[in-house]
Amino acid sequence: MQKFFSNKKLIILMILIIVTFGLLAVTVNIRDNKNTPPVVQQVGNDVVSVVGGVFAYPTNAVKNATSEFSDLYNTYSENKRLKARIGELAQNQAKLEVVQDENKKLKQELKLNDTLTDYTTVNASVLSRSPSSWQSYLTINRGQTSGIKKNMPVMSGKGLIGRIVEVDKVSSKVELISTDNELNDKFAAEISGDNNKNITGVVSRYDSSTGDLVMENVNSVKNIKKGQSVITSGLGGLTPRGLYIGKVYGIKKDNYGMTNSVYITPAAELRNFTVVTVIKSSVSGEK
Amino acid sequence: MNIKTRKIFGQVLFILFTFYLDGLMKWAFLNNMNHGIIIVLPQLMLMAIVMLTMRIDDRRQLITYGIVFGLIYDSYYYGIIGLYTILLPLLMIGIDHFKFLLVKNNMGYELSIYFLSLTFLQSGIYLLERLLQQTNTSVFDFITYTLGPTLLWNVVVFFILYIPLANLSEWLVKYRRDNK
Repeated sequence: MQKFFSNKKLIILMILIIVTFGLLAVTVNIRDNKNTPPVVQQVGNDVVSVVGGVFAYPTNAVKNATSEFSDLYNTYSENKRLKARIGELAQNQAKLEVVQDENKKLKQELKLNDTLTDYTTVNASVLSRSPSSWQSYLTINRGQTSGIKKNMPVMSGKGLIGRIVEVDKVSSKVELISTDNELNDKFAAEISGDNNKNITGVVSRYDSSTGDLVMENVNSVKNIKKGQSVITSGLGGLTPRGLYIGKVYGIKKDNYGMTNSVYITPAAELRNFTVVTVIKSSVSGEK
Repeated sequence: MNIKTRKIFGQVLFILFTFYLDGLMKWAFLNNMNHGIIIVLPQLMLMAIVMLTMRIDDRRQLITYGIVFGLIYDSYYYGIIGLYTILLPLLMIGIDHFKFLLVKNNMGYELSIYFLSLTFLQSGIYLLERLLQQTNTSVFDFITYTLGPTLLWNVVVFFILYIPLANLSEWLVKYRRDNK
């Protein structure tokens, strides 16, 4: 009897281990290779996120209110600086409208439908963030029904913050650009040079100690200056061209002195926002 | 609806509420995305789970709670199923198993149980994720920047919230049998 019991416990333990690793392996594979998780999981996540909205909206309201307070704190100096820029801005906007119009007409002339710079946007509000160290996900309240697909880039007010990693029916998960996960978060980027020579590379890492993004595989570092802006280059599938990532902070060589990494201060204030924008590229690239 | 069903409904609501609080806390207050390498993970659901496990005697009910809430947690927050789904029931069975050592519920005892379970859970998740190559953080970085701050934050919160949480879970579990 004693022997039988110990055997039974062993069997349970064995089954438990098999089930654990089976489940983990299957779900990781599905996440990496399929466009959507299984329907059961989608529905489950949707129900949880819809109910979660009840708690999320008051939290977001509080978050907005507190950030308004901190905004109020440095309003005076900011106002001075902004006033100086308003004139410039209005002028730029007028110019932009004219150029956009012209661009559209020229495209029609050339019979170009959509180029890499064309995209539409979907706004979504954030429901929660994963309490997990390595899955830095945000859950947002838009999904397949709003036309969101896996791997679409996501922006907050000022710049790029991440990419869609899982799509359910009415909710989805955004993996932040500041993630540690080396497999997923890479953006093809370019630094706009002075004389029409764009320097391309891949934003592939996040340096958590300084809070900088790191751009690697840069083709030349000759003309890179501190303060130049970095945008997406549109060469990476579902990401259109011209999304603002940040500003160049500095260049470092790697430990062997072989390759150069460009350090970028991200434009997006990755803290005080409650609404994000999902970018739908009009040109569908390769999957 | 008899009193038992109502109490179970209350327990489920309690755990669900803390489940949402985990994500919202991380989103609203501990959202260190731009700067800082220290990662604090709020684990309020684990608090509720530990509190209830200390008071519920029905092991089958505990395992059901563990699996159901583990599944929801994994699916909603991690996108990988099998971390909380396995570790949470194991943890609850463990606590239930050694509960007999307890003479009287007191704060120090529950605090240490919570401390141990949090360490177990986070280390388990770290090991599994490391195994599946979801992270390449070294063990020392994990202990210094994730486990340490997480334990500190959560133990302080546990200390602050102990009295209301303990009273609430006590009320959610205990009922007089004749009071149908």
